[in-house]
Amino acid sequence: MLKRRPRPILYVLVALSALISFFPIIWLILTSVKTQAGVYAWPPQYWPDPFTAKNYVAIFTKSPELLRSILNSFIVGTGVTVVVLVLGGMAGYALSRLRLRFAGPTMILILAVSMFPPVSLLPAIFQNFLQLGLLNTYAGLIIAHSGLFLPIAVWMLSSYFGTLPIELEEAARMDGMGYLRIFLTVILPLSWPGFVATGLIVFIFSWNEFPLSLVLMTQSAMRTAPVAISLYPGEYSFPWETISTATVLAIIPILAVTAIFQKQIVGGLTAGIGK
Amino acid sequence: MPAMTVLDRRRHWTGGGFVLPTILLIALVLIYPVLVSVVQSFGQSDLGGTAPYRFVGLQHYIEIAGSAHFWNALGVTLIFAAGSVPFELVIGIGLALLMNESFRGKSIARLAVLFPWALPTALNALMWRWMFNSDYGVFNAVVLQTHLASRPIDWLGEPTLAMTSMIVVAVWKTSSFMALIILAGLQAIPGELYEAGRMDGMTRWTEFREITLPLLRAPILVALILRSMDALRTFELPFNLTGGGPIDTTESLSLYAYKEIFAYLKFNSGSALVVVQFLVVFAMSVIYIIALRRRD
Repeated sequence: MLKRRPRPILYVLVALSALISFFPIIWLILTSVKTQAGVYAWPPQYWPDPFTAKNYVAIFTKSPELLRSILNSFIVGTGVTVVVLVLGGMAGYALSRLRLRFAGPTMILILAVSMFPPVSLLPAIFQNFLQLGLLNTYAGLIIAHSGLFLPIAVWMLSSYFGTLPIELEEAARMDGMGYLRIFLTVILPLSWPGFVATGLIVFIFSWNEFPLSLVLMTQSAMRTAPVAISLYPGEYSFPWETISTATVLAIIPILAVTAIFQKQIVGGLTAGIGK
Repeated sequence: MPAMTVLDRRRHWTGGGFVLPTILLIALVLIYPVLVSVVQSFGQSDLGGTAPYRFVGLQHYIEIAGSAHFWNALGVTLIFAAGSVPFELVIGIGLALLMNESFRGKSIARLAVLFPWALPTALNALMWRWMFNSDYGVFNAVVLQTHLASRPIDWLGEPTLAMTSMIVVAVWKTSSFMALIILAGLQAIPGELYEAGRMDGMTRWTEFREITLPLLRAPILVALILRSMDALRTFELPFNLTGGGPIDTTESLSLYAYKEIFAYLKFNSGSALVVVQFLVVFAMSVIYIIALRRRD
């Protein structure tokens, strides 16, 4: 493409969109380091005066359930990522590389079911998991999230496998390798960028998922972070300094992962959905 | 179709084995629950599953059709989708065009697009609820101190304003998703097309209208489908931003169905509601797909 000189208006637009994007997050962080008097001050404090870490200390000492919820999100998110990568990797490989007659219809089915509104799943999943004893268990929510996010993972991974040269597999077939061995020893080592991108996106989706996490974890000790923080406010009080602080703690892992792996995530999203 | 050889057959058995666990999980979590909802919507039982199922035909659907509450929720959902998706599209195209330029500080721009996408919708709603707070929120602080308003504005407490505020939050969060899909489309456009355009002395605007936009038709439609589907099933945004209020003016279909099922324990009529919602989302996808086919 012909190079054009970057124009000042470009930088103005970029700065403006960055400001609009970052402002709510910055404001949240600023709220979390204000004293209670600072949070409810008039005229408002745009800049915390004084800065305080008291809200963070208070979360650690007075609201163990909020910390526990962040741990729960980690456990569920990690479990979901592992399950989805293993199962989705195998399915994506078979559907994209084994020239299966049922590959086309299966991919369409997987795409179609991923469009179901989550709330339409709630009554039956709740009843089902209640009978199976899966309510308030990590296994239960991991199963639910895995089913929910497998479709996107299969689509992303199979589109990644599609970019690998087929000759490698043909050579391995000539050597008499079985498909499972080819998948494990030939395909996997070549596809780790695809797995990283898919894994990151699935982890973020699981961390952020709300309706199923809300309904399947009814005990406060088992709730995930978004649900625990949403349900934290009491009926009459809305302790914004605590809510802001807990929210900061719950989004920092996600924003850090996003910042570190921004290229992989953009690549994964554009490859999986753009097609 | 040619007959399968022994090798073909073996490949299909192995492939089937690879796909089966995924299909089973999807069946358990996605397909079976929807089928159960359909069955329950035609019957009477209870959420604990202890009462025996009794078939009642279309009774729940007839109740829904006569319920003002349902029509309100459907209207809220459609207004929310129609009010948010077009803005997301325009801003998304703008962001994608920005991201497609080369400039210094690209990584900051990429994060500006990714952060809103990566935030949990539920916590994002809480974050904005605090900024919209009528007594202590930053928006009222600014409009009062700059004398744009003389009294505090109740951003989430007045019907029309609450819906507008909710749309603003959705547009802020999801324009970036539109941008990412459209960016993928932009990057697939061969640079030579633009070079040819430059030779013909095209301005940037004609270049965008004559080359870029027509080639972006497919990604734009995909983005529209995905975002409209999401908007039609919005749940945690009103759940955490407004709770559905004031006087149900932001109560989406998903939120209404959730309350019916889990707050009022109306398992069967709630199931009928989710089936109706399912059909609304399905109908919209079909309309878009027909539109996509037509244009091709």
